[in-house]
Amino acid sequence: MKMTHFIVSLLAGLMATGSAQATSLYVGQAKAGAVCAQCHGIRMPSADAPFPPLGGRDPEYLKTAIKQYRDKTRKSDIMNAIAGSLTDAEINDIAAYYGSVKP
Amino acid sequence: MKNTIKMLNKSLLASSIAMLLSSGMALAKSDDFHKLYQDNCASCHGSDHGGYLAPALNSATLKGRSPTALRTIVMAGSFDTLMPPFYGRLDDDEIRGVIKHLQETPKQPNPAWTIDDMKKSLKVYVKDESTLPTKPTFQIDDKFENLIGVAARGKYGRGEGSKAIFINSSTHQKVGEVPTGTAAHIIDFNPANPRWAYVKTDTAEIFKVDLYSMQAVRSIKTGWNGPGMGVSRDGKYIMAGSFVPHNAVILNADTLEPLKTFELEGIDPDGKHVSSDSGMIIGTPYADIFAIALENAGQVWVIDLNKEGFPVTRIEKVGRHLHDAFLTHGGKKLMIASYDDSIVAAIDLEKREIIKKLEAGCVPHVGGGSAVKVDGRTLGFGTNFGDCDKTVVSVWDLDKMEVVKQVPVSGGTESPAAHANAPYVAVDIISKDRRARTVQLIDKKTLEVARTLDVGGHAYFPEYSADGKFLYISAGYNGDEVVVYDSNTLQKVASVPMESPAGIFSRGRVKYMTRGLSPDEMEQSK
Ligand code: HEC
Ligand code: HEC
Repeated sequence: MKMTHFIVSLLAGLMATGSAQATSLYVGQAKAGAVCAQCHGIRMPSADAPFPPLGGRDPEYLKTAIKQYRDKTRKSDIMNAIAGSLTDAEINDIAAYYGSVKP
Repeated sequence: MKNTIKMLNKSLLASSIAMLLSSGMALAKSDDFHKLYQDNCASCHGSDHGGYLAPALNSATLKGRSPTALRTIVMAGSFDTLMPPFYGRLDDDEIRGVIKHLQETPKQPNPAWTIDDMKKSLKVYVKDESTLPTKPTFQIDDKFENLIGVAARGKYGRGEGSKAIFINSSTHQKVGEVPTGTAAHIIDFNPANPRWAYVKTDTAEIFKVDLYSMQAVRSIKTGWNGPGMGVSRDGKYIMAGSFVPHNAVILNADTLEPLKTFELEGIDPDGKHVSSDSGMIIGTPYADIFAIALENAGQVWVIDLNKEGFPVTRIEKVGRHLHDAFLTHGGKKLMIASYDDSIVAAIDLEKREIIKKLEAGCVPHVGGGSAVKVDGRTLGFGTNFGDCDKTVVSVWDLDKMEVVKQVPVSGGTESPAAHANAPYVAVDIISKDRRARTVQLIDKKTLEVARTLDVGGHAYFPEYSADGKFLYISAGYNGDEVVVYDSNTLQKVASVPMESPAGIFSRGRVKYMTRGLSPDEMEQSK
């Protein structure tokens, strides 16, 4: 089975929260809470975790970073796998949501 | 939760990450991995590899499983569960090594933890308690009632994130944080002296906490794993029970010194002699006794505190796999849940006998239980995990001891909250999907679900403030906050950030015995 297949099913399962057209904080929140928070937390990663915080960061920076992971210009086994099949709309929603969170 | 956790959904993300991993060979010795397991995993998976808050990890349970798939669960964690990602905390060789170790290690015989081990583990942080302040060092009501304690687990179940956090429930401000090393699980308040609370962790340490200065003054390790803890009505004794090993201990609540241990074993309802995990332990306002549930032996033991040697009266054949319970009738009756029989057994603590067994949905887990007075009746509420078709909250008439209604709810539930002054009984939906974000509110009068709150995270352990004005709920797992609602309007009024919050315990509990009853109920017993 191809890796993309796994990721597509993952996103279908965990991220099935509506058809993102306009940027939606709610959709972003649901996705961030379901997937990204596992490592990055919402406001803050765990005090004991080695992951960078995303809450309260500049949405533009986040978008660029996620897109770089997606097209593998920024290398990280884990983030390349996670960002691999995110759509632009999903990236916008998630970045907007994390940007709106107070750390 | 032990034994009720089912085989897991495989994380798809994990599988995808697995394929990206490079291969390498771990060469460390199995001793090192034993230690690595004890230090990082055992607080959730059990020191004996037999499972605890999380599934058993041993050669039998992991037989035939792909090491790659298991490794990736360890690396990325499992979404929407307590399993944290160890990526970056353990290196690739360590993760490979621990998986290999787990697949080779059988479930361990019950490791010992004797009264001498306990004595040696006693730590004193404040030698002279007379140096402590004589009143709270923070803003709180004069009666010192509006205090709520939250067991913040911390993402990894240990480390900096693991604390008992205390909140003033009229201002919703944090008033103290007490680090606990491993995840705090239960917080009990001393019924006789408001300044003391006791916090028990997943790894069975008990901390004696001075609430006036918000610090731990002593601690003792009572076992390897196990949440059971109760405080006697006079505040003089604590009883603690473990899953690992199968024992319980009575401590002096003042010094935390262990006074007597009990081996938990007996004849189960099917006639087999078994060694048993400790289930709930409870002190009652009506007498100087403790009641303790022996999960596997299906017995409830009543222990007399003012008789020489703490003698035990055994009540047998209560049910298969007992777990938690709540008190009614001034503390003279105990309603105890039996997972495998799907009943709640009513026990008369005075006569020390079973009164009746009541139907209780599917896999009843009553949490702290709840009881409310409505139109002259006293109604008890029991939640259930409900891994079968039936997801109901059972409501019993506690005087007639009969089922009044089984209220359909949207999923399995774990803990009901009620308050004499609040219109709803709150139940946490724990089914493993988006429903886990929600809490449902049952109208006390109509006994129907009136509202569903989307709290976020894994929403569980609802608790009313002592005055009943506010409903506190943990947005647990990755939700990382405690959310506060107005009990009447159900509007969100505050959020208190913390890492992986779980159990919430109001100091009001010492006043109303069982959540939902009025303090008068307790007066009856005196
Ligand atoms: C299994 C753990 C894990 C999960 C789940 C995860 N991440 Fe990451 N993330 C990481 C790690 C590890 C890094 C650091 C990678 C590196 O070295 O570049 C990272 C880095 C990032 C960064 C770069 C931050 C910076 O300061 O430059 C962004 C942005 C990011 N992740 C977004 C996300 C989003 C969005 C999601 C959810 C769709 C997500 N991550 C899910 C582990 C994870
Ligand atoms: C904070 C609690 C916690 C800690 C600490 C923890 N786990 Fe887990 N673990 C869980 C939970 C909960 C699950 C069940 C996840 C699910 O239902 O998907 C789990 C699942 C697993 C599984 C999958 C089991 C199966 O049968 O599919 C493995 C393997 C595992 N953990 C290994 C580890 C290892 C190794 C460590 C230590 C390095 C560890 N865990 C630490 C809570 C924890």
